Amino acid sequence: MSEHVGRAGRAGRLRRLDAGLSLLDRQILDRDGRLSGKVDDLELTPPEGDGSGPPVVTAILSGPGALARRLRGSVGAWLESVHSRLHPSAEPGPARIPFGVVKEIAATVGLSVRKDDLELSRFEDWTRDHIIGRIPGARHAPE
Amino acid sequence: MKRFVAVTLGILTAIGGFVDIGDLVANAEVGARFGFDLAWVVGVGVIGICVFAEMAGRVAAVSTRPVFDLVRERLGARAALANLLASSFVNFLTLAAEVAGIALALELASSVSYLLWIPFTSLAVWLVIWRVRFETMERIFGLAGLSLVAFAVGFWRLGPDWGSVFHSVSHPVVPSGEGHATYLFYAVSLFGAAMTPYEVFFFSSGAVEERWTTDDLNVNRANVLIGFPLGGILSLSIMGTTALVLLPRGITVDNLAQVALPTVLALGKLGLAFLLIGFFAATFGAALETALSSGYIISQFFGWQWGKMVRPVDAPRFHAVVLVSLVLGAMLVLTSVDPIKVTEYSLVLSALALPLTYFPILVIANDPDYMHGRTNGRVANALGSIFLIIVLVASAAAIPLMIVTKAGQ
Repeated sequence: MSEHVGRAGRAGRLRRLDAGLSLLDRQILDRDGRLSGKVDDLELTPPEGDGSGPPVVTAILSGPGALARRLRGSVGAWLESVHSRLHPSAEPGPARIPFGVVKEIAATVGLSVRKDDLELSRFEDWTRDHIIGRIPGARHAPE
Repeated sequence: MKRFVAVTLGILTAIGGFVDIGDLVANAEVGARFGFDLAWVVGVGVIGICVFAEMAGRVAAVSTRPVFDLVRERLGARAALANLLASSFVNFLTLAAEVAGIALALELASSVSYLLWIPFTSLAVWLVIWRVRFETMERIFGLAGLSLVAFAVGFWRLGPDWGSVFHSVSHPVVPSGEGHATYLFYAVSLFGAAMTPYEVFFFSSGAVEERWTTDDLNVNRANVLIGFPLGGILSLSIMGTTALVLLPRGITVDNLAQVALPTVLALGKLGLAFLLIGFFAATFGAALETALSSGYIISQFFGWQWGKMVRPVDAPRFHAVVLVSLVLGAMLVLTSVDPIKVTEYSLVLSALALPLTYFPILVIANDPDYMHGRTNGRVANALGSIFLIIVLVASAAAIPLMIVTKAGQ
């Protein structure tokens, strides 16, 4: 993963980053600063036009589906099977966060959208709706 | 008072590391078998955990990032996953043992079998995590755990010959009748207990829960320098009381009542009362520490929202992990497996996973991108490197020693 990401977000500030070091395995924060997963993998696409030149990062892949493919081996296969069994669609791919919504790349990766608008919060929603949200007191801050 | 309660995070963390149910018994057992000949290991362990907990707390205060978050960032997904699996396994075994440990403390007080208490103790631990604010929790259990100071008072009242105690601490030998491998096995276990990874997971996550900033670096240092040495002193006091009373009579230790025996001899009923409160608070505190740590590290590995600073509905996966760990832990000890044996094995396994936790802390504490001018000084780096080598040696030796000595028998 030695591709260089040429552009950090929409602001268009040009900056050279090593994607393997500065992006992979970083924490993602949504617009409101809520923890929203890790950069588990990156989607690379050949550049538009004649397709020559280095590939471009078009999306962040996050969640167990993305992590499973990166880990490979028996652990990866196991994680992949858990992911696809729990996922509603028959052949789920990893959850995508289009690179256009990335606002900031620093110690953490900041997004310009809310976490609820991303497809990767599905498992969290399920846990909240079916288990944790049903326990009395779940909506109160600890006191 | 406010200054004093600011260090309860360090105290609670250290109690969970040094005097949880496994260590209460292990320290007493070591004292009864080896006298003062292994006391030096506790001293080494205290320095080691102070060095790394200070770094972890500093990283958390400056970058607001807890340890396991950074483990993943520095080691990459694969090695971090290996650490996660090993650390979660140790966490889980320790949590199960602590749930039984609270029950054993209640059994000692009530003569009702600990197995009957387990459903209630695990429910109580969960309720505290679910409803009680982080600071309140750490103050109650950190301060109540201090009643274990009765061990130190008891040791003093037993009237040891201080000269010969200092001599045997500073000139350790392998006692006759014990093999070198057994001696080393207990040394690795004691070192592993002092440096258990859940201490830094809990300590650094607690610092983030309490919203420490760069202004709190003194609080961090005070927590580390008061909490862990205190844990070490409690641990040494237990060892000392059994070394004075049980060793000469050839009594070995395998349950909580025997741990209390020498101190009760010295201090009477009042001593027993303090010890019972202390046993309860220390095991309860360790259960909170390990239950929260299992939620912390899994959430931090996957990047999920975690912590008690938000409503449970906002961190549902974190609370689900804590809940499931507690239920499974209670089920494990309800099978009537010996909880003290469980922690003894988990200690050795934790020694195996130590380098995967402490190496990334040392690296991040030197990274200016995270530390904004608060990177390690020369002393911290020198000590950190020395202890990383010790940790690697202990890690490599743990399993072979366990096999050769049949876990210290």
